[in-house]
Amino acid sequence: MTLWRLTSRRKEQLAGWLFLAPAIGYLLFAFALPIAYNVTLSFEQTSPATIASLTAPFAGLGNYHFILNDPTSRKAIANTFWFTVGSLAGQFLIGFALALLFSMRFPGRTLARSLVIVPWLLPLIVTGVMFRFLFQLEGGAVNQVLTGLGIVHHGVDWLDDPHLALWTILIANIWLGVPFFTLLLYSALQDVPAEIKEAAVIDGASPWQRLRLIVVPIILPVIEVTLLLGFVFTVKVFDLVIGLTGGGPANATQLITTWSYNLSFQQFSFGYGAALNNVLLVLALVCAPIYLFLSRDSLRRSSGADR
Amino acid sequence: MTRVKRSRALSWLCTLAAAAALVLVLFPVYAIIVGSFESTNTLFSGTFYWLPHAATLDNYSTVIHAQSANVVTSLVVGLGTALLALVVAVPAAYALSKYRLRVTVIMVSSLLVAQIVPSIVLATSLFIVFHRINLVNSYPGLIIADGTYAVPFAILVLRAFLFSLPNELLYAARVDGATEWQTFRLIVIPLARSAVITVAVFAFLAGWGDFIFALTILNGSGIEPITLGIYTYLGNYSTDWGAVMAAGVFAMVPAAILLVVAQRYIASGLTAGSVKG
Repeated sequence: MTLWRLTSRRKEQLAGWLFLAPAIGYLLFAFALPIAYNVTLSFEQTSPATIASLTAPFAGLGNYHFILNDPTSRKAIANTFWFTVGSLAGQFLIGFALALLFSMRFPGRTLARSLVIVPWLLPLIVTGVMFRFLFQLEGGAVNQVLTGLGIVHHGVDWLDDPHLALWTILIANIWLGVPFFTLLLYSALQDVPAEIKEAAVIDGASPWQRLRLIVVPIILPVIEVTLLLGFVFTVKVFDLVIGLTGGGPANATQLITTWSYNLSFQQFSFGYGAALNNVLLVLALVCAPIYLFLSRDSLRRSSGADR
Repeated sequence: MTRVKRSRALSWLCTLAAAAALVLVLFPVYAIIVGSFESTNTLFSGTFYWLPHAATLDNYSTVIHAQSANVVTSLVVGLGTALLALVVAVPAAYALSKYRLRVTVIMVSSLLVAQIVPSIVLATSLFIVFHRINLVNSYPGLIIADGTYAVPFAILVLRAFLFSLPNELLYAARVDGATEWQTFRLIVIPLARSAVITVAVFAFLAGWGDFIFALTILNGSGIEPITLGIYTYLGNYSTDWGAVMAAGVFAMVPAAILLVVAQRYIASGLTAGSVKG
């Protein structure tokens, strides 16, 4: 008989549920309710007048029909796709390179490691306006460097050229996400046993071979989780784009999130906004099963007190 | 070249590469600080000055005058979000790590999935629901919404930490006659202090830096956090750059302070797998 059984099983259950009650209440109110209501809303024909009453006439699939045929919504979906793919590629490659760099021994590495996380701590709207300042056509530091070095003759219109603006928000988002990738991959690299790497050196493996055949396979689980979290983060991006381009020019940087905001809160078409939200939710939740699978060890560890 | 010389050269090369990377990482922050000291004339002169050109405090006096109330609002929202996250998350994490409950797997799965849900999805519905129950334009409404950034993350991080607490300590407390609540309050919370601080720091930064819920749920008059104040300066056609940048610098202050005083909590929170946004 373990000591645990001195307290009654029922008392344990009751205490556990009581400790959990605030969290269950919060999840139901702040997550389950809005998600469910968003589904209802997406099937309703809303108008500014119906917002006050919580219910509106049934619209069938009308809102979804609109979203899938609306050129701006389609553009927002396509932009979100390219923005996400580009961000993940850039954040991973640069983040991994920096993680490898920080794993080397060199003067100043501790300082460098602690400063590299700065972008992650700033309010996202500040990051947005910061890059807006840097990428200005006239008086922007980026154009000044590029013309100064003779790379371009005239300033590049980063923010108002519809062909370039998506690249501009992509660059800003890569800057934003690199610290997260660097830190996670760096801490994974620290867990690679030194003996294995030394053994590979003795066996004559080149640095590239060591990286590809030994280090990457060992840290693969962390790479997967990091990419997944990076994906989740990037499909949600909103503040950065609002601060940087506001979705313009001519919707060139409109993402699902910013267009959904526009539909709901600027055009007061909450039904359309909700339908687009559900498209986004489905895209984001595609990775939920993968996330749960990757987190399976943590999930299984469900009992701590009586093992 | 000898081996030692070569490795020394290599390590200096690494320093150089790290310095270059840091310049790229920190330059935008430096630029906004420089810009915040420039006069409107300089900012619209079409030239970026690498060092403040005719430095002035005008922007700061504008912002202090116009945004002081908003800074206080942001502080209240940040602290409120931290408090909400702790009140909800600490007991929940304890239950999910040290009690055998049938609901544990479902609950932890829900928390993982909750981190994935985009804020705009929640904001659209919460606006209408809050409208109905008079939480629009209110601190409680905004703090409840901002909690969606912090609560799932907080529970998962604290839970992972609490697994490392030896169960023997809990048994000992029970043998000594402590109630479940006393065990939690007198044993678990003090021992989990560092994880609690980590979680509080992140929740504060989430509430402080929130923009999307402020933009949607505070749709109208009333309270306005600093992030919304910055957005207002952006304007539709003309941007008051000086004010934008001084307000931006204000908005970065908590991050800067926390980076100095709570460095290790921030690093451990980030590696615990945070998702922001």
